[in-house]
Amino acid sequence: MTVRVLVADDSRLSRRSVIKALPPELNYAIDEAANGKEAIALLNKASFELMLLDLTMPEIDGVGVLEYLADKTEKPHVVVISADFQPEKQRIVMSLGAAKFIRKPLDQEELAMTLFELGYL
Amino acid sequence: MSTESVLTADQRDALQELMNISMGQAANSLAHLIETKIGISIPKIASVTPEQLFSMISEQADAYYTRQSFLGDIQGEVMSVVSQQGLCEVGALLEYDAPLSQTDIQEIILELSNILAGACLAGLSAQLALGTNLNMPTLFSPRKANFEEFQWSNSLVMEVQFDIEISSFSMRVVFCLDDASLDRLTQTLDELLG
Repeated sequence: MTVRVLVADDSRLSRRSVIKALPPELNYAIDEAANGKEAIALLNKASFELMLLDLTMPEIDGVGVLEYLADKTEKPHVVVISADFQPEKQRIVMSLGAAKFIRKPLDQEELAMTLFELGYL
Repeated sequence: MSTESVLTADQRDALQELMNISMGQAANSLAHLIETKIGISIPKIASVTPEQLFSMISEQADAYYTRQSFLGDIQGEVMSVVSQQGLCEVGALLEYDAPLSQTDIQEIILELSNILAGACLAGLSAQLALGTNLNMPTLFSPRKANFEEFQWSNSLVMEVQFDIEISSFSMRVVFCLDDASLDRLTQTLDELLG
């Protein structure tokens, strides 16, 4: 099974560490976006099953991407991976439809557990 | 101001991300204390001369300033620029009685500097496995401070901004590293980047 994944983060290091942390049991077709604007452009072009989304990004931030997705009928599971983990921020992203909020620095096991909970593993 | 002379694009990207994680931890510490959401900016990283640092620090009118040195595997100085505007609301969130006395204001500024700068430095050090100790902050005036006394000609500054959304309060934290610490930092970043 190949999972179509969109990784959106302005940091190349962070995108790399997210991709490296994906459980090896699955195959992935991965696209990367360096900001929210690029992420929305990719979401318009292709369909993804899973999106791993940072919040603090230039152009359009992660909340902007979630707002864009809010009224879409076909949308990926969005897992937010962010350093801004204040309770109010977590509440906002979950109310906008994120499936899970994971704190940075990313814990590989937490990501695997999240994918298990979402039915990928 | 540029980063080209001191950091590669990958080093800059990595440092910006590490700062982002550290400031998230710092904002969370303060948000818990005042039970209010803190807005955080994308970190800025630049190479500056002492004169440029002076302009950068003192560009904001109506502000209070603190500085605190840190020692250890990397050493340098953290400067905090705290807006005067909105400080009364922050005082109320910290359960100070209005009107704030001069002593209350000083306490609040030093406390905020210590929490935010301390959490930022602790987060950065932990992620890079570097040992650092932060000294207590002191108030200072950039116009009276001698920026030429710094023992470097061109160093790295990392700047983050915190905003408290229910008031007009904002605070900038600027990290300055000396030359030897900059070398140590770039080596450690290279190890991290593999």
